[in-house]
Amino acid sequence: MEDKKVVLSARDIEVKFQVRSRVLTAIRNISLDIYDGETVAIVGESGSGKSVFTKTFTGMLETNGTISNGSVMFEGQDLTKLKTDKDWEGIRGAKISTVFQDPMTSLNPVRTIGYQIAEVIMKHQGKSAQEAKEMAIKLMEEVGIPNAASRYDEYPFQYSGGMRQRIVIAIALACRPKILICDEPTTALDVTIQAQILEFIKSLLKEYGFTTVYITHDLCVVANVADKVAVMYAGQIVEYGTVEEVFYEPKHPYTWALLSSLPQLGTKGEDLYAITGTPPSLYDQIIGDAFAPRNPYAMQIDFEEEPPFFQITPTHKAKTWLLDPRAPKVEPPKAIQNLHERLSAMVSKGGGYHG
Amino acid sequence: MKQYILGRVVRSIISIFAVVSIACALIYGLIPHEKIFNNDPTWKKIASDPVASITYKYQKWEDLGYVDFQNAGDICKLAGDDVDYNKCVRGTTDAFELVKAEWEAKGYTVMYKDDGTAYVKQGIDFYEEQPSLCKLTETGANYDECVKTRNSDLEKAVSSYIEDGYVLNYYNTGTLYAVRENTVPEIIFGYISNLVKIDTPWTVNDASNPNLERKIYPGLDHNNIPALKCSGCESQYLLYLDGKFPFIHQNIIKLNFGISYPTYSGLGTMDVIGQGQGDPVKNEVHYDTGLTAKSAVNLHSCKYKSSSTMSSDDAKKFATNYADCDTNKKDPSMIGTSYLFGILGIIVSYGIGLPAGILMAQKKDKWQDKLGIVYINVMIATPSLAFIFFMKMLGNKIGLPDKFPSLGFGSIKSYILPVIILGLLSTAGLMIWMRRYMVDQANSDYVKFARAKGLSQKEIFNRHILKNAIIPIVNGIPASIVLCISGAVITESVFAIPGMGKMLPDAINAANNNMIITLTFIFTSLSVISLLLGDLLMTLVDPRIQLSSKGDSR
Repeated sequence: MEDKKVVLSARDIEVKFQVRSRVLTAIRNISLDIYDGETVAIVGESGSGKSVFTKTFTGMLETNGTISNGSVMFEGQDLTKLKTDKDWEGIRGAKISTVFQDPMTSLNPVRTIGYQIAEVIMKHQGKSAQEAKEMAIKLMEEVGIPNAASRYDEYPFQYSGGMRQRIVIAIALACRPKILICDEPTTALDVTIQAQILEFIKSLLKEYGFTTVYITHDLCVVANVADKVAVMYAGQIVEYGTVEEVFYEPKHPYTWALLSSLPQLGTKGEDLYAITGTPPSLYDQIIGDAFAPRNPYAMQIDFEEEPPFFQITPTHKAKTWLLDPRAPKVEPPKAIQNLHERLSAMVSKGGGYHG
Repeated sequence: MKQYILGRVVRSIISIFAVVSIACALIYGLIPHEKIFNNDPTWKKIASDPVASITYKYQKWEDLGYVDFQNAGDICKLAGDDVDYNKCVRGTTDAFELVKAEWEAKGYTVMYKDDGTAYVKQGIDFYEEQPSLCKLTETGANYDECVKTRNSDLEKAVSSYIEDGYVLNYYNTGTLYAVRENTVPEIIFGYISNLVKIDTPWTVNDASNPNLERKIYPGLDHNNIPALKCSGCESQYLLYLDGKFPFIHQNIIKLNFGISYPTYSGLGTMDVIGQGQGDPVKNEVHYDTGLTAKSAVNLHSCKYKSSSTMSSDDAKKFATNYADCDTNKKDPSMIGTSYLFGILGIIVSYGIGLPAGILMAQKKDKWQDKLGIVYINVMIATPSLAFIFFMKMLGNKIGLPDKFPSLGFGSIKSYILPVIILGLLSTAGLMIWMRRYMVDQANSDYVKFARAKGLSQKEIFNRHILKNAIIPIVNGIPASIVLCISGAVITESVFAIPGMGKMLPDAINAANNNMIITLTFIFTSLSVISLLLGDLLMTLVDPRIQLSSKGDSR
């Protein structure tokens, strides 16, 4: 993996939002390298900053948000320096595409499916309307729309949810992007369609060879699709590693808690584990480890100083004082020990998607 | 789709009739009968004449449907052969006639009370009623016969009227009349059942022209344009073409809302608001007798004139009995005027409101948006009357006339102020909604995705947001045209524009009942039709809406 090329490199990203007259720090110094052809999953609870972080790759932060620090290097360009729609031309939608969670509403209800695909082809590839139409029909066939030519002029309401999500993916892939960001691509779909779409993205991945960034809070999706996992908490990445490392050798207490609270891993008859407390307010300055108040393993230092990343293996690192040589040895909770066997048993049963 | 529209049309018609019935019930049921004479100049002249005023009053009421009214003459004429007409009309018995002649010979005037009893009054101290007159007589008339107020012939003639619920009354000349008040349901029923008039070749009933041909035939009009003509119908042309909107005109089905009274007295209300106004326009006219003259006559409008009333002048011009024609007038009708101002107002309001709303949405929270919000607030907070007078004042400063008739239809200056005012009055609402819809759409997921596709803000606005935001606006366009026409009531009144809007308050002030109902009908129909049109328009712009009766879409 080490010899792979870095396609996108985020350094010390800090994002702030102006909310009424207060400032909210949504992302606090995240650095992340995304390697070519890899699938990276960003997991974390709602409000942890998953979406906001990836929006910095496409300049789609809400108007009250600013990148106050850091850089996102992509093809030799710092994306944080791009401001206007014109600056983004050729990157957003062309080289970095996004698929959103709700296919029901991602398409314009009063424009034909064909128009919405052809539009992006014409925009980024400068094709004529006729060429774009041909390409769009071909693309529709590729994503498995039957009778693509005759359904070209139909409207989104005439398509089923799964088909609409395929169209959304087709639009995102229309310009053969380098990076595809999937912002909870299956949350709004029912379980069987979810599985289909995930398989579908996987198969496209083989064919097109793009890099995928999944944003999800569904750990089963992560287990199914990802190469690398980044666990986010309160605007920071707290643990990062390959999917095996993070799932089977988790080091951060938040990752432990997250895995322990998976309903699929619960034991029948026992109460499901729940993380106590609430995430910290992002309006305030966070001192020490942001997870410390909810962390049963928290030490004095956790409340005083922010932990650095401790490298565990070349690909695995975690941001917790527990990895400091001076810290006492702590075993992960029982619920997530020997996760390997249990999880692989579940995935092989094909039941990995009930989220 | 067809079924749906048919259903809507049927329901629309039912609701229009319901509204007309309610208006009819309110107006005829609640406004006192006497009020309608307040603005009648003829009434003021004859109110002091006891005979003429009663006849006039009841005849007007009968015309308007309030009462059924019969004079002794009519009652006696219809009574049949076994009633002596002369005796019946005279009413009193022979015995009393003798007594009456005696008193009159003595220089007294015999008068009658409402119940037909005669009396004689002289100064303040002499007053005798019929019984004492009969007693004091020296003619030896039979007392029992003398005190009767009706003779046997009249008694026979009125018996059927009494059965029908008529009330008998007497003029002070002793002549009898019968009146029956119609109940409100009867008035409404009579009104509605006479509402639609269909012209057929058997419509004309002219005793003085028994040989009238009865047929519908294709023919040419005076301009040699094909037309559908009729002999025996009320109108000569059933269908004809001319250069005026909507180019094909028909005279087959007419709506009859009764006569206008007391203003525009005697004309049908539809004629009052539908016919041209102003000075007659004379053109070269070729009559069908071959006569050519300069005249303002509108040959397409000619109606049947009975042979007995045809003048020799008519005979020179017209080959047939269709000689009762309207005149061409210079200015548009009241309906035409209101439509003209309505349409111009709409153009102004949409021309300003839509772009302004779109701009506000595009520049949300920028100075353009804030300025627009200030404008909207001012417009909504200001009473429309105050706004109208304010604009009028501004207009006067730059030399625009403050009353429409001062320069009239001919001058463009007359239109500027009313049209701008009408237009601006509805811009505020339009701007709010346009902005609202645009902003709503701008926050939707498909816009987020369109941005992720790499489209620029401008492309997203033009290609995606606008089309979605315009859908509810399109739905409202016909309704706002109606609002502009009927809402022009204040503007038309302030500028004295001769349109329907001004007619409504005028008609209410003058208690012109039929006119109020007519305008109610027109405004109601426009509203109902505009709702239907709005929904149909929406199917054109929104592919998701289909008017099929499939499933439970309604």
